[in-house]
Amino acid sequence: MNPLLEIRNLSFSYEGSKSLVFEALDLSVREGEFLLVKGPSGSGKSTLLRLICRLNPPLGGTILFQGSDITAIAPARLRRSLCYVAQIPQMIDASVEENLLLPFSFAANSSKSPPSREELRAMLRKFYLEEVEPAQSAMKLSVGQKQRLAIMRALLQDPLLLLLDEPTSALDQESAAMVFSIMERLNIEEGKTLITVTHADYKPVKKRPLNYMLDNRRLNLLP
Amino acid sequence: MNRIIDISLAQLFLALLFILIAQISSFIYHLGLNRDITIGTIRTFAQLFLMGYVLTFILKSSNLWLVLLVFFVMVLSAMFIVKGRVREKQIPYFIPTFLTMLISYFATALFVSGVIVGTAPWWDPRYFLPAGGMVIGNSMSALAIALERLFRDLREQRELVEMKLALGANYREASDELFRKAVSAGMIPSINAMMGVGLVFIPGMMSGQILAGTDPLIAIRYQIVVMLMLVGSTAVTSVVVMLIVRRRCFGSGEEVLLR
Repeated sequence: MNPLLEIRNLSFSYEGSKSLVFEALDLSVREGEFLLVKGPSGSGKSTLLRLICRLNPPLGGTILFQGSDITAIAPARLRRSLCYVAQIPQMIDASVEENLLLPFSFAANSSKSPPSREELRAMLRKFYLEEVEPAQSAMKLSVGQKQRLAIMRALLQDPLLLLLDEPTSALDQESAAMVFSIMERLNIEEGKTLITVTHADYKPVKKRPLNYMLDNRRLNLLP
Repeated sequence: MNRIIDISLAQLFLALLFILIAQISSFIYHLGLNRDITIGTIRTFAQLFLMGYVLTFILKSSNLWLVLLVFFVMVLSAMFIVKGRVREKQIPYFIPTFLTMLISYFATALFVSGVIVGTAPWWDPRYFLPAGGMVIGNSMSALAIALERLFRDLREQRELVEMKLALGANYREASDELFRKAVSAGMIPSINAMMGVGLVFIPGMMSGQILAGTDPLIAIRYQIVVMLMLVGSTAVTSVVVMLIVRRRCFGSGEEVLLR
């Protein structure tokens, strides 16, 4: 089986900086895998996800998604298939429902039909957000609720790969446990491929993810 | 009614009393504007005297290329003023903005002097240059406001724009709201001027014509043409410039380039 995502010889440095963040970094991700990427602060964990979804251009190397170079795929089409959720969840100043349906207003998603309000309610329950009403303002939610809502919004597009950047960094233990439980369920029950960048200690319940350490400008698989 | 009262040099210098009042206010209240007021006053004198001599020379010579050269210099100067106000280093916007200004302002001045007023030749400097000057002056401010707003908002709301991009929006969809807000911020002063004209203020050109002895009923027709021309040219120039510059704020992967 071909890898879903393949990174070859990737290098990157921030604009105006001479030191490399990544050098000859390689990674191969198969469909259905669940990767946890750890590493010290400033090691470029978030940057790695941003490079995969083209929010930053690399200095060198190739990233292949489903066998195609990502630079050959229209950016909107690529980002619909591999969805990135940022560390600080961003909401538009509108209702929960409008936020969840936002991706359906974009041309790249015009062929998809948006979920009904009932389907949204059912999904909110799955994300431990049963107390949240679709009509209420998204701006008034807590960070933990916004984080789960942001993951849910990305999932509504049915992406092949989900990139989660520090999804638990601003959360208390209880909320963080909920997010980890959601990730595990998405991977085991729905077969979603996930790459999660995190600082947090995660104790898997049902399935152990592949643990990588980003150190010394490369990714190393931990035993 | 047609006699124009000349202003002697002594009378002109008497008007400097207004500047003296402004300088005293700035001094007493520590506004820190004394230097700028002085430079502004000197520039007003120098630039307008220079313009007066240049216009006298151009009106006498009646040379198409000279008229076009003056027009070009006016647009270029406006572009440098916009650049000074926007102060954006990262995104190269100078050349596309300048070219759009040049084409759009030329078309407007040409339409007003050659078609609406119907001068012969179309470049009659008595009409073409003042029309061009008003368009440039007005639209220049709108452009500076719109560009400054676009760059500032895109920097401040970068994470929100990236969230939309990450959810499959193209760069136009992701920055749609910022684009609209920037263009309308630039347009509002021109639209407000249409609301207040004749009620709150008598516009400069109309006042000038009346002072020069023109029938106010003719002067208002010119002024109406000017107001409509200003709104139209400002709208077209702002929209075209913002469309081009917005694209330049995003890279080939439709990623936000502004840092």
